[in-house]
Amino acid sequence: MSDFMQWVTHGIKRGRFEMSPRAALYSFALVAGLTLVVALYLVLVSRTAACGRHIEQLQEELFGLQRENEQLEVEIARAGSISRLRERVIELGFVPAEWVEFLLPAAGGP
Amino acid sequence: MAEGPRRRLRLLATLLIGILLVIVAQLAQVQIVNHRFYKEWRDEQGVRTIVVAEPPRGAIRDRDGHLLAGNAVLYSIEASPPFVVDVEATGAALGPLLHAPAAHIEQLLDSDDKWVKIVSPVSKEVGEQVAGLGLRGITILPLWAREYPEGTLASHVLGFCNDVEGKCFYGVEGFHDALLRPERVEWEGPVDLYSEPIPWAVGHGVLPQRGTDLVLTLDRTVQALVEEELARSVQEYQAEGGTIIVMDPRTFEILALASRPNYDPGRYIDFFSQKPPPFEDPAVSQQYEPGSVFKVLTVAAALDAGLVTLETIYYDPGWIEVGGQVIQNASHAAYGEQTVADILIESLNVGAAWLSTRMGPDVFYRYVQAFGIGKPTGVDLAGEISGQLWLPDDYEHWHDANLGTNAFGQGVAVTPLQMIAALATVANDGARLRPRIVAQRIGPDGTVSILQPVVEAQVISPQTARMLMEVMVRVVEEGVPQARVEGYRVAGKTGTAQIPVPGGYDKEGTITSFVGFGPVPDPRLIILVKLDRPKTSPWASQTAAPAFQRLAARLFVVLDIPPEGMAVAEAAR
Repeated sequence: MSDFMQWVTHGIKRGRFEMSPRAALYSFALVAGLTLVVALYLVLVSRTAACGRHIEQLQEELFGLQRENEQLEVEIARAGSISRLRERVIELGFVPAEWVEFLLPAAGGP
Repeated sequence: MAEGPRRRLRLLATLLIGILLVIVAQLAQVQIVNHRFYKEWRDEQGVRTIVVAEPPRGAIRDRDGHLLAGNAVLYSIEASPPFVVDVEATGAALGPLLHAPAAHIEQLLDSDDKWVKIVSPVSKEVGEQVAGLGLRGITILPLWAREYPEGTLASHVLGFCNDVEGKCFYGVEGFHDALLRPERVEWEGPVDLYSEPIPWAVGHGVLPQRGTDLVLTLDRTVQALVEEELARSVQEYQAEGGTIIVMDPRTFEILALASRPNYDPGRYIDFFSQKPPPFEDPAVSQQYEPGSVFKVLTVAAALDAGLVTLETIYYDPGWIEVGGQVIQNASHAAYGEQTVADILIESLNVGAAWLSTRMGPDVFYRYVQAFGIGKPTGVDLAGEISGQLWLPDDYEHWHDANLGTNAFGQGVAVTPLQMIAALATVANDGARLRPRIVAQRIGPDGTVSILQPVVEAQVISPQTARMLMEVMVRVVEEGVPQARVEGYRVAGKTGTAQIPVPGGYDKEGTITSFVGFGPVPDPRLIILVKLDRPKTSPWASQTAAPAFQRLAARLFVVLDIPPEGMAVAEAAR
């Protein structure tokens, strides 16, 4: 022990320090209770932070998927647009129908 | 205890208490005395208002669900210079991707600003490539860009959006902007050094909602056929422009609406150089004198008021004087004894003026207004105008002669939509509904609101409407064979109108139009064709009527409307 600590504590050592078993038990319970509360608080805060981060990630994912979905929808619409269909029709060699005849199915037929 | 240690203990305790008091005093100073100052300082540094990722604008679809206006993703490449670790390396990495000189990017990253925009917007692919680099201090912000996958199709119906300013104009985009616009949700809370919300404060509570989706009454196939026919007619008859509207007269749903010149709403900036830019929809925002098509309303009013029957005979000397103005037939000929039905079949101006003077202004204008002339139809398209109808109580503009000229569509101006809605009233047993272009609204939560037709007025009785329809069939069969559609009973009326200019009428050009519907007696289609200043012929029977015939023949097939004999056979089964 350093000289300084000896200088500070030698008076205390020489004093009488007594505690009843009941007081000791209460003190222990108090310290244990406080430790438990602090530990629970820390667990709660860390769990909240982890959940918050998870929510943030899920929201990011949701917005990302929403963007992807919108983009895909536009691309599908472009691929199936009337102008694109016209191009495909010409490529496939289709010709306009010159004469359209409506047929009346026979009564009782399928 | 000896005096020495006791003194030392007291000294130590005093020292500790003194330190404690200083700390308490400092805490009181910070927490109580200067509380407001420190709170504001902390809020300034640690609390941010962040826009929770902006959701997309509502989509616009045709009646079968085909996408007409959607949203594509672009990115904005931005940076926070204080957090950029290696300016040179970052500039070198970004330069080739963003097609920008590395030196320019380095200059931006070296600035004292807290936030700089490097390039915006860039394509989705480039944005994702930049994100993949994982550069410190560089942020890739997603942006929405309005996309029109059908190109120029239905441009006047849709309107367009300025993505930079976030404003939309014309058509459905302009009219329903508030509905289509997504909800903007802001979150305010503590953030970390990188302005990111600290994890335990993340729960935003309310997630931003996308805009309401709109399902139109438009049929993109019908729209494409209409645009094809309009382009053909404008070219074939060398017209300056034109409009075609197709409606279902049973519901007043607009199946197609096209005008020329048109534009590509996705590239609207390229069309600003045109004089005037073709953004305004001529179908609702421009008016014209309808000419003889208007005679249908005059005859309808006189029949419904019980003043005449279709067989009532009058004498046509070739002219009539109304309010000091001499009115003649378009052919300048005298027709002698004619029936009221002949006023439509022969398109006689003198007969129409004779009818309106018999009715008098009160009855005539009451019916004209009931047909919706002189006020907006209430369609959900931006920029609709009222047209122009002077009434007898307007002493400044209305003259006695107006009663005669208005009867055959002169001195009165309508929009094409007003005119087709008025004639659709005849095809719909005399009931005028509100024309509509939006069929359904789909909310962000998927709730579907189906919009029902709105009856504006029972203008004429169903009996009058049926009589008129039969006369209009005779107009096509006896007067305008160019509009006949083989296999179908079609009703219609031509209109060849002069174009008013200051001091009179333009001697050079005309506006030709044809409004027809069929199959009679239960019309499922009504079509208005209007051509501006056709050069091959000034007459509607030579221009608008054949355009109607070609279009109607195709649409009857496309919309699965069987020809007359077949319809009867089906009904008999």
